[in-house]
Amino acid sequence: MSNAYLRFWGVRGSHSAPFASHLGIGGNTSCVEIRVDDHILLCDAGTGLINFGNEMMKQKDIREMLIILTHYHWDHICGLPFFVPAFVPDWNISIFGPGIKAANIEEYVSAQMKAPFFPVGTETWLAKINYLPPPQEHCFSYGPMNISYDNVHHPGITYGYRIQVRGKTILYISDNECLYLDKSIKLKYGEVSPEEQVLYDRMNKEEYASEIKLIQGADILIHDAQYTPEDYQKKRGWGHSCFIDTVNTAIDAGVKELYLYHHDPNYDDREMDSIYQHAKDIIKQRKASLICHLAVEGMIIDLE
Amino acid sequence: MTIHPTPTVVVVDDSPSVRILFERGTENLDVNLMIFESARSSWEYLEGNKPELLFLNIKMPGKDGLTFLKELRELPLHKDTSVVIISSKDYAQDRTIANELGAQDFITKPMPIKAITDVVLKYIGN
Ligand SMILES: [Zn+2]
Ligand SMILES: [Zn+2]
Repeated sequence: MSNAYLRFWGVRGSHSAPFASHLGIGGNTSCVEIRVDDHILLCDAGTGLINFGNEMMKQKDIREMLIILTHYHWDHICGLPFFVPAFVPDWNISIFGPGIKAANIEEYVSAQMKAPFFPVGTETWLAKINYLPPPQEHCFSYGPMNISYDNVHHPGITYGYRIQVRGKTILYISDNECLYLDKSIKLKYGEVSPEEQVLYDRMNKEEYASEIKLIQGADILIHDAQYTPEDYQKKRGWGHSCFIDTVNTAIDAGVKELYLYHHDPNYDDREMDSIYQHAKDIIKQRKASLICHLAVEGMIIDLE
Repeated sequence: MTIHPTPTVVVVDDSPSVRILFERGTENLDVNLMIFESARSSWEYLEGNKPELLFLNIKMPGKDGLTFLKELRELPLHKDTSVVIISSKDYAQDRTIANELGAQDFITKPMPIKAITDVVLKYIGN
């Protein structure tokens, strides 16, 4: 294996989907590893983290890693209570996520490991756990990786991460509802004056420009694409994107490669394949150069 | 005779169209409107001044409005500053956080000009 790669350990959103009909895509929730030499960065700590931890226990060379959390919804942190390296003394684990101080991260991460919900708390973690305080400029580095983050459109404070390494820009945006304001404006457009309509149009353009800016320059974009258009109709306002909006926004932003991610746990392998075919049709129709993949558990991308 | 100074309304939002909506919504009110495009650019003013009403957007470049409000609330000066959230994020969780941080109201974007006038009048009178 190359010295720099990205691996999907969990690709589902909302909750795990360990059903036979779903395992072609994978059943674990959000967790992506970016490895460069001996440096390990984990994006989110969903159930995918458990298997990653078990793999790490089989080797002896590396004892350190950084986990960056987009937010604290269960599908992004529920691997931590079962993450074996955290319970072993010689490990060094840094954790970063939303909060105004490092103590907030500790508070949110440990909240899920309290009685009666879990038998042992984070005080039983024997590894050295280092909760990182928010940096002044929304950016920091970890080994050869430069990491920055921005606010995205999802309930509560949620980050999207930009990781620059080996000349590549990787964007990890697990939970983000694309074009939400656009739809809110369409719903209210008929009720307001022509002057307000002009301002709403401007507001819409500003918002879309900021959505484009968020993902611009991505060599690899890992992005929320949870719903089909039919389900999005029912679940607008749940904080996730319809995959069609994800694909179109990625094309408009000039993204090179898109990995559709945070798959709905209700979609089996067949449904996921039909989403993938539909995404490829959109790209073809728009004559775009975007390369699109479905994120699949176990998939490895070479970063060399 | 008591002289009441003109109340100050501060808006922290990166959107130029929101700026225009606020200018239009307050043009017939006797208020001193100050608009900043980020938490950072408003800090110098807010660190030493308490407006009569503070509007905060949530999703902005740099610091988000809810994290910023949490920091402001830690300053004695802003423990009880009247705050209204203005956001496209029409989510229950954002409303809950805003409520826990003592925000008085939550207006979802896009808002008509009158909604701005009404909320300013509601919280500072005129
Ligand atoms: Zn999620
Ligand atoms: Zn979430």
